[in-house]
Amino acid sequence: MARKTGDAAREAAREIGRVTVVRLTLYYLMAGVLLLCLSALIPHGPISPAPGQPPADMQGAISWFRGQVAVFPEGAPRWLDALLQMIAAFLLVLPLAFVYVRTRTRVKFDHSLVQTVIVLPIVVTAILVVVRDSLALAFSLAGIVAAVRFRNNLKESGDAVYIFGSIGIGFASGIHAISVAAVLSIVFVIVELALWKFDFSAEFERTFARLCLPSGADLADLPNLREKSSTPMPAADGADGDRTAVLRIYVDKVETARPAIEAVLARDAKRWTLERIGDGGQDPPLLTYRVRARKSVGLDELRDRLLREGAPHVVAADQVPPDS
Amino acid sequence: MRAYGISPEPMSPLTPPPSERDHALGPPDARVTLVEYGDFECPHCGALHPLIQAARQAFGGNLRLVFRHFPLRSSHPHALAAAKAAEAAGEQGRFWEMHDRLFRRQAELEDEDLRRHAREVGLDLERFERELRSRAHEVRIREDLASAAQSGAHGTPSLFINGEPYQGSLERRELFAALARAAVAMTS
Repeated sequence: MARKTGDAAREAAREIGRVTVVRLTLYYLMAGVLLLCLSALIPHGPISPAPGQPPADMQGAISWFRGQVAVFPEGAPRWLDALLQMIAAFLLVLPLAFVYVRTRTRVKFDHSLVQTVIVLPIVVTAILVVVRDSLALAFSLAGIVAAVRFRNNLKESGDAVYIFGSIGIGFASGIHAISVAAVLSIVFVIVELALWKFDFSAEFERTFARLCLPSGADLADLPNLREKSSTPMPAADGADGDRTAVLRIYVDKVETARPAIEAVLARDAKRWTLERIGDGGQDPPLLTYRVRARKSVGLDELRDRLLREGAPHVVAADQVPPDS
Repeated sequence: MRAYGISPEPMSPLTPPPSERDHALGPPDARVTLVEYGDFECPHCGALHPLIQAARQAFGGNLRLVFRHFPLRSSHPHALAAAKAAEAAGEQGRFWEMHDRLFRRQAELEDEDLRRHAREVGLDLERFERELRSRAHEVRIREDLASAAQSGAHGTPSLFINGEPYQGSLERRELFAALARAAVAMTS
């Protein structure tokens, strides 16, 4: 039964991954076609064709760069030019918002951030259209921004990346560098989805631990290091909580059971730390691990594998809530 | 914490030991056999039920659970009928489904409730009611009661781990440690 559920969950996870990639690819293709159609509708201005090499002077170099990356060449009425750039910014930032929604759990999800990520590049584009090459306007803008205080604590430090990504798309769109905005959008989406899907940070935590711990130190020292650095493991929450738990594993002998247990955890847990080795006198030895099961395995299956592959040394794997 | 419902009087080894006549869940060659004498109307048995389910998950194939009836008719007027309902369900191969349902819904043990449980468990209702009316299952329940008396069980729930009476508390940590101790003892 547990195996069936695990297989279904694994299959569902893969399915969601494929659907996400297919949807995003289709979206980018449609957005690209739309932008090219819009570009074809407006009159071409003086910056194309651009010379093959960048001129030596700064103004010439800027014009050359614009010519290289412009999807909407200058020449259209200013309001239309601004509108097209804002449309481009909006189209290119939507995948970022989609990825944000897709990769955040209910607890980590910040509703207002989605709106911010979508609207911000449009505003940034508009500001850049207004500022253009005017140093005086740029200073004025800096003064206005300094006068207004924006103080907002982000729920997740990773959310700031979305804000920066959104600003980057707005900037690129605002200087006619739509192709740069498109590349930024695509690369951002690929990297964020890859980080989320494969959870590199979990693997790197252990890799870094191996590299950085003193020679001969045990990975079980990780919890102590973590406590010292005051960065606790993420608390259990809605969708994620069903993969995080404390496993109290009863064994016959610690020295024979531990390698078998940790081989399973190294393979099937995204994160794990040995919290305690209890030798309770008359009671059998008890190893307490804090684990986060891999999405493809799940806690029930992880526990089954510990019992199966740890036999005969592992007697029981009792799962208790992570805060106990 | 002392266990509610567990007799402070010394208990004897389990008599008779688990056999094919018992309702058992888990592999026959499991390292630990946990026998419970239970009453479907006993609140302490109801409180123990999720703990035993957790033990089954934690110990996996190392644990075999055996359930024997111990309806305390003097204090629990619905206990015997519930035990008979579980036996009648057992005749249709659904003993454990009914067992779990009765423990989860201890406040619903009237005759009408039992019929509803049977329907929702998926039993043949006509056969179920016929068996409830017959006295066939009462004999088996009386045998369980007699074995409880022989083993020195005076209240519910009474637990035996590998045939030995368990008189510790019904706290998760202590019960699991006792089960693990028994499993390790069987290995060494």
